[in-house]
Amino acid sequence: MALPLPPGLTHSEVAFLAEMEMVTVVPRQRLESIDLLSGQTPPLRPPHRAQLPLWLALLLKKQRRANIVPPPWLHPASLADIIHRETKGAGFSAPPPPPARANPHEPGRARRFADDDVTLSPPFQPSCTANAPAGYLPYHWLEVAESLLTHAGDDMAAPVGEVRSLLRDLVEVRAAKMRDSISELQGLERGMMLLTGVGSIELAESRGFVLGVVDGVRKIGASTEATRRDKEEMGDERDDEGSDDDMGI
Amino acid sequence: MSYYDIDAILTDAEKLPCTFQIDVPDLGYLDNAPTQTLRAGAKVALPLWLAEMLAVANDDQGKSFVNFDLPRALGNDVIQALKADPRAVPLRDQSAHFFGLATRMMDLLAEEQELGSVLRKTFVTRATEIALHARKVGGGGKAAGGDDGASNLGVGGAGEEFLRGLDETERKLFRKAHEGAKAAKEWMENVKKH
Repeated sequence: MALPLPPGLTHSEVAFLAEMEMVTVVPRQRLESIDLLSGQTPPLRPPHRAQLPLWLALLLKKQRRANIVPPPWLHPASLADIIHRETKGAGFSAPPPPPARANPHEPGRARRFADDDVTLSPPFQPSCTANAPAGYLPYHWLEVAESLLTHAGDDMAAPVGEVRSLLRDLVEVRAAKMRDSISELQGLERGMMLLTGVGSIELAESRGFVLGVVDGVRKIGASTEATRRDKEEMGDERDDEGSDDDMGI
Repeated sequence: MSYYDIDAILTDAEKLPCTFQIDVPDLGYLDNAPTQTLRAGAKVALPLWLAEMLAVANDDQGKSFVNFDLPRALGNDVIQALKADPRAVPLRDQSAHFFGLATRMMDLLAEEQELGSVLRKTFVTRATEIALHARKVGGGGKAAGGDDGASNLGVGGAGEEFLRGLDETERKLFRKAHEGAKAAKEWMENVKKH
């Protein structure tokens, strides 16, 4: 039975998950802490910044009760820097480093967390807050950037049009890179693609295609691979060719 | 490859040039000579599934019934052209199931090492090109629903010719890449609404 949906998450599902990302807001009104499934939100006291999930921040923004502080990596200078690195170097730019780990090569990046209940795994790692490092694209970069630009455009550090055009450039550069990394599959010795640093929305976009290409390469190489394995083992194990064919992705 | 895979079934129906090694009574209608004996040495185009069976089967002297060659789609001309420029060859003109056929042939003729590497290079190079076109189609026009309608806007004449030369495997790839690009575009427009 074929499932009607392709494997993996769709764009709207990914965007929905991205709304769990924490962002920094500057409240305009007092708001007591709310009990949520993911824990209590901090009480909002107007001049003090607070961390809220993106969906709540957007809601408060729409009601004009808070302003959102854009994450540093969304600053035009940081985006231009990332584009520069993407165009110069091979491979996707690195994801943000895990917090609170001092790196001797990049002094000053180590940060400490004020809160006591800190979750450090990537989906909950606060990579979109005001004190996230600049120059690194987090996993949900495109979704968060798009919603912030659309709904909180007046809070941005630069005109929305400028940031948006930089984002478009970045999307194009990275899409071209995705295609290039496919062409690395043609060498017989490398049957893999590196996807470190690719964002979730980019994965959702190219999942079907990339899986199709990898599967096609595997099918074409299956008999060669079986012959090679036979030669290596000097035996008559022709039956593992069959099991190789059944292995779906 | 599932039992119900229509492309696998159609691939099995591709014709192979075969040479009969033995006389077969009453099989002359395969060679346009009904009610006669099919002589040894007769060249007949047989579908892949039949040719495979007959080539594997032996008579009592250990001689196989037929010998088969590579089909014209995988002939030397095509392979040389693919080596020169994988993008310039309309594979669909050779066979609508080019890669399926090629995979089956490599299973049957295990010694075709060079064919394997040429095919792999062809597939990957063309896949990159497909991704490029699929993305252009998605971003080019408002009519993202129909491939044919939108492909004029972003791709241009040469691209359209390339897309027409895709075999079934590649068409599936194109469709997947195009759906991805389309979904991304729809999502982008949706963000503004909510």
